[in-house]
Amino acid sequence: MIKKKKIAEAAIPTSSMADIAFLLLLFFLVATVIDVDTGIGLTLPEFVEDVKNVEVPKSRMAAILINENGDVLLDGKVISVFQIKDNLKARIISKIELPSNKKLIVSVKTDRKTKYDIYIQSLDQIKQAYFEVRDDYSNSNFGKKYNDLVETQQKDVQEKIPIIISLAEPEAVKK
Amino acid sequence: MTFEKRRANTKQEIPTASMPDIVFMLLLFFMVTTTLREVDVLVKFKLPEAKAIEKIENKRLISYIWVGDDSRIQINDNLVKLDDVEPIMYGKRQELPNVIVSLRVDTNADMGLVTDIQQQLRKAYCLRLNYSTTLKI
Repeated sequence: MIKKKKIAEAAIPTSSMADIAFLLLLFFLVATVIDVDTGIGLTLPEFVEDVKNVEVPKSRMAAILINENGDVLLDGKVISVFQIKDNLKARIISKIELPSNKKLIVSVKTDRKTKYDIYIQSLDQIKQAYFEVRDDYSNSNFGKKYNDLVETQQKDVQEKIPIIISLAEPEAVKK
Repeated sequence: MTFEKRRANTKQEIPTASMPDIVFMLLLFFMVTTTLREVDVLVKFKLPEAKAIEKIENKRLISYIWVGDDSRIQINDNLVKLDDVEPIMYGKRQELPNVIVSLRVDTNADMGLVTDIQQQLRKAYCLRLNYSTTLKI
């Protein structure tokens, strides 16, 4: 005797779809690297063939020289790397109200044998000095930290306290 | 007086039919945001630490140059000579005019090499620079 077959319901089993999707999701979760690159930003000057030397008044310049042992010379005075910040801060603050062509220029010059780490540390010190001055200025004028200001206010602060860092043209050295 | 136990007369089940949709949505988000690591770093380097650091939000603009502790330079997937930095970077700049060059240099590298690379970058008009550092705590 043949039983009449019951017609099965035509459905695709979807219960395992969630599992599959979870598996894929997990893979992408694990494989994702959300690391934003952090670092010290800088803009290089354009390359010019013959360098013209422009005289800059001494009061505008903060010349930082770093030799191969990591000794730092700021305007002829020997200081340690960690003193750069405090030395610069006073000079940046004194120039806030001056017109833009009288702002401080920080010039960094290293020896070819200077370790990269020391260079970064001193650059870090310079940036810190600028950031702290900017924060202080924003705090006293707008009552907020620099990063919390709106864009127009940030522009304002940037105009008052521009970060001018000059990387001195390396001297031709004999090998 | 008898108390009748109050019970909702709905089905006691969590509807899971929309779960795949939700998961797929999450999945799509991660698929879109993921940038799979494209290059193998061939040089050994330890990044310096700094406090006053900024984030670069736009990852697509960044082009890396690695310098290892043995002064080898790597761009993309290859180790390159110093003189090759300029043509390679010039090509990159033509593809992406506002490219940001991120220097991942070992702490013990000499500044001489770094300045040489910077000179090459200046010639290639790649002027936006970033010294990659980690946060000093």
